[in-house]
Amino acid sequence: MLVLGIETSTPQASVALGSDQGVIASALVARGATYNEFLLPAITFCLNCSGSDWRNLTGVAVGLGPGLYTGMRVGVSTAKALAQALAVPIVGIASLDLLAYEVRYSPKTICAVLDARRSEVFHAFYRTSPGGIQRMTEYRVEKPGQLAVGIGSRLEEVLMVGNGALLYRDEFEELGSVAEVGTMSHAFPDARSLVELAVPRLIREEFDSLFELQPLYLRRSAKRIQWDRIRQARSAS
Amino acid sequence: MTDTIATAPAVATAPRALQKWDDRVLVLGIETSCDETSAAVVKGGREILSNVVASQTELHREYGGIVPEIAARAHIEALTPVIAEALVLADVTFWDLDAVAATVGPGLVGSLLIGIAEGKSIAAALGLPFIGVNHLEGHIYSNLLVDPAARWPALCLIVSGGHTLIVDVSGHARYEILGRTLDDAAGEAFDKVARFLGLDYPGGPEIDRLSLLGDPEAVRFPRAMLNQDGLDVSYSGLKTAVINYVRGREKAGAQISVPDVAASFQQAVVDVQVAKTMTAAERTGASRVCMCGGVAANSGLRRGMEAACKERGLELTVPPLELCTDNAAMIAACGTEMLRAGELSGLDAAPDPNLPLAR
Ligand SMILES: [Zn+2]
Repeated sequence: MLVLGIETSTPQASVALGSDQGVIASALVARGATYNEFLLPAITFCLNCSGSDWRNLTGVAVGLGPGLYTGMRVGVSTAKALAQALAVPIVGIASLDLLAYEVRYSPKTICAVLDARRSEVFHAFYRTSPGGIQRMTEYRVEKPGQLAVGIGSRLEEVLMVGNGALLYRDEFEELGSVAEVGTMSHAFPDARSLVELAVPRLIREEFDSLFELQPLYLRRSAKRIQWDRIRQARSAS
Repeated sequence: MTDTIATAPAVATAPRALQKWDDRVLVLGIETSCDETSAAVVKGGREILSNVVASQTELHREYGGIVPEIAARAHIEALTPVIAEALVLADVTFWDLDAVAATVGPGLVGSLLIGIAEGKSIAAALGLPFIGVNHLEGHIYSNLLVDPAARWPALCLIVSGGHTLIVDVSGHARYEILGRTLDDAAGEAFDKVARFLGLDYPGGPEIDRLSLLGDPEAVRFPRAMLNQDGLDVSYSGLKTAVINYVRGREKAGAQISVPDVAASFQQAVVDVQVAKTMTAAERTGASRVCMCGGVAANSGLRRGMEAACKERGLELTVPPLELCTDNAAMIAACGTEMLRAGELSGLDAAPDPNLPLAR
């Protein structure tokens, strides 16, 4: 078994190779990565370093976002084309899940938060479960202030991870000891966690449909939102 | 056609050992530069085994133009099944392919990167050369897919929603741009006038259809640049003239015949474009004219160009509709020629939304 993981939905791009024996190779670039230029050379590098070949791959996993559009598109297109050409199964996992998975040993409720730009964040809440994490809420896009209100009303301590938590740390830290903001080392989803999460799914044969797999946008296109508003206004008048 | 032995330069894509890229070479082409998702398999650079195009026209119709974000999302959805279909229709598998070619520019960056990412990935996974193709060069090569005897040199007119270029093609990768539009592309002018006239999207084919019902001599719209020495064209003034004419008539309470306006507008574009192309042919001494791009499907332009070429004894090639509009067969055809010339791209190839034609 050799699984390739691709995670490029944030400013940090990474790839990893691994199996049920753990991760065997990985490459990561933290900032300023041009996804198109980084991705395939990085995968080739990992394959070479681990003495394996494209034809040894038995599955492809990809971080679906939510995140930066260009990164998500390059990652998902690359993963789909590799799975198609090599005729191996594909598994897509939300990038927020990867963030939460990295801090799964915390006893607190976990809130994974990624910067969504336009003064908004993507987020979801998780609790730890035997051997991993369990998501408790839908993936959402909200203003940081709205999220802070949501956390304040939970009546439990929350560990917030991700670059969105760090970016709006002031707003969350106003909640006092209820909200703990994680460190820079848990700011971005990582392909190594992706491989770890994808391996059991591949073993259980919980594959995604190659033709249907898509990035997790969480937002409609700006033009469509604007258009819907115009039409609503028209039909109201 | 002479066989060329191509050795690859040192790039990340390692081609199979020294190989003859002969007339049986199979190239998978991918095109996602604008609002068509397309994949094709072309044999020997000339024979189309399959050419699948998934059009997004319906998705953009309600906005009256192409929305880049919607286009990018649609490409991700469509490309994998389109590639699968292209292989099935060509009756080949991934392992039969010799190379993969994808459009790298010019075009919408969010759309281009999907075709590039998938093209590069397929090439990497199969250990094949990857070829990044210029979309405009692809349009030029659509002519070679039509006529087995077609060859360079030729004078090429590229007319589409995004481009209006008169190019002297003296050989592969030898292009000289003789004339271009100073403002709107021909197809853009068609779309803008159509939108003003309240016609359906896409506007170009609608104007063409209405023109058949109207009188092209009804309104004498200006032919900008016609009396100028250069080979450049300009369509922004013509568009304004149409708007002013219609508004003026409306103000005067007079009837407007939309078919007459459409026919007269189209005739003005045809007159200018044909005249400039013929002048270019005279200056270069060309004996062949090739017309490509979406607007090459316009029946008025086809008739005008046919008549003018016949009068001067010039050979004219115009691809059928499905090869005029954006398609991956032309990208595969151009990619095959680049493969023979050893012009390969690396696995770090990225989109270039403003890629120029001349290299
Ligand atoms: Zn085009």
